[in-house]
Amino acid sequence: MHDTLKEIQAGLDRSPHLHRIGALFSETVLLKVDGQEFYLVFEKGRIDRIVEGPSKKTPYRFGFVTDAEALRAFWQSLPAPGFHDIFAMVKIGRAEIVGDMLLLVKNLRFFKEVLALGREGVAA
Amino acid sequence: MIEQICGRYVTVEIAGRQQRIYFEEAGQGRPVLCLHTAGSDTRQWRHILNDAEITATNRVIAFDMPWHGKSLPPEGFQTEEYLLSTEVYMETVLAVARALDLDQPVLAGVSMGGRIALQLAVHHPDAFSGFLAIEASDFQPAWYDIDWFHRPDAHGGEMGAALVSTNISPHAPLTERWNTLWMFQQSGPGVFRGDLSFYTQDDSLVGQLHRIDTAKTPVHFIVGAYDFTCTPEDAKRTADQIDGATLSIMEEVGHFPMSEHPDGFRPFFVDGLARMPQPQAQIAG
Repeated sequence: MHDTLKEIQAGLDRSPHLHRIGALFSETVLLKVDGQEFYLVFEKGRIDRIVEGPSKKTPYRFGFVTDAEALRAFWQSLPAPGFHDIFAMVKIGRAEIVGDMLLLVKNLRFFKEVLALGREGVAA
Repeated sequence: MIEQICGRYVTVEIAGRQQRIYFEEAGQGRPVLCLHTAGSDTRQWRHILNDAEITATNRVIAFDMPWHGKSLPPEGFQTEEYLLSTEVYMETVLAVARALDLDQPVLAGVSMGGRIALQLAVHHPDAFSGFLAIEASDFQPAWYDIDWFHRPDAHGGEMGAALVSTNISPHAPLTERWNTLWMFQQSGPGVFRGDLSFYTQDDSLVGQLHRIDTAKTPVHFIVGAYDFTCTPEDAKRTADQIDGATLSIMEEVGHFPMSEHPDGFRPFFVDGLARMPQPQAQIAG
């Protein structure tokens, strides 16, 4: 999981349009996969660092909670229905969004595209 | 290349107010009146309107709802909260059909357009020859807060587009995905919210569908497997309430089929049209 997140971080570094879209996004986001915590610390549209949990002291604005199998399905180049989008994953019961939902919605395109950088062939 | 689509304006009275409506059309033959989704406009139908084979025997017409696309809001809108209602929506479709002198068109509606097509199938079946209910269901409560899409501190269109991207298939060509999202990004302030108010809060169709007589006006549902606003299960639940209604599922398509994935949608639309009655004049001819 950590390797994929590092690939996302590097892919984001190579995505200038996301730096523009995420220019005002400097927040910490929790990605929780099978109970394992990863804190993605964003700074002006880039992932400054990835901090592994567990941590009860790291504040985050919103979190995406899912399981590894679902996330692998999401990262397929042509995901099956339900695994093609984070909100669809929530709707089929394979993910949960916690924290400040409105902040996520305000930055929804940015966050969706960042997470999709883990998709086969996207971040390359 | 100049496309075959022709756009014009018509002014009609709706709920006692003058509304200048933009419409596009192409082709000749059986009239097919097409309705766009919430938060978008007639451009969603561009591929069908440009389809030479379909328009060889069908006069395809699509129009922008008031407040949408090139149809301006009514006079005095600047102090109004836009909230679409079933009554005004039905009146709008009927007024446009009358103004364009359409003789019992097939009504093809997508999403909220599909919902109103079903309402018209219940309440005004005589005005139409049949109904294509695309990504349509009897009722869909919101899984989101519709007020997200009209607030002073964020761009409702951009947030709306990011939300509805949930319902676009990964099989859709990238160009058409983004053309589809662009229309949502362009939507006027509060318009998507006002459409969603109708779509997610008006449950007046529930319990009424048994009144549709498909022997007189056939109803065919088309739904995409990647639609998570109106899922295939939602469409099937709705179709099951109408004796004689039929349903097709598009495995690689989402909630905006005619716009996001024209090649994936086309065969299903052609099949749907084939299930609709031919006008008497054409049969006689």
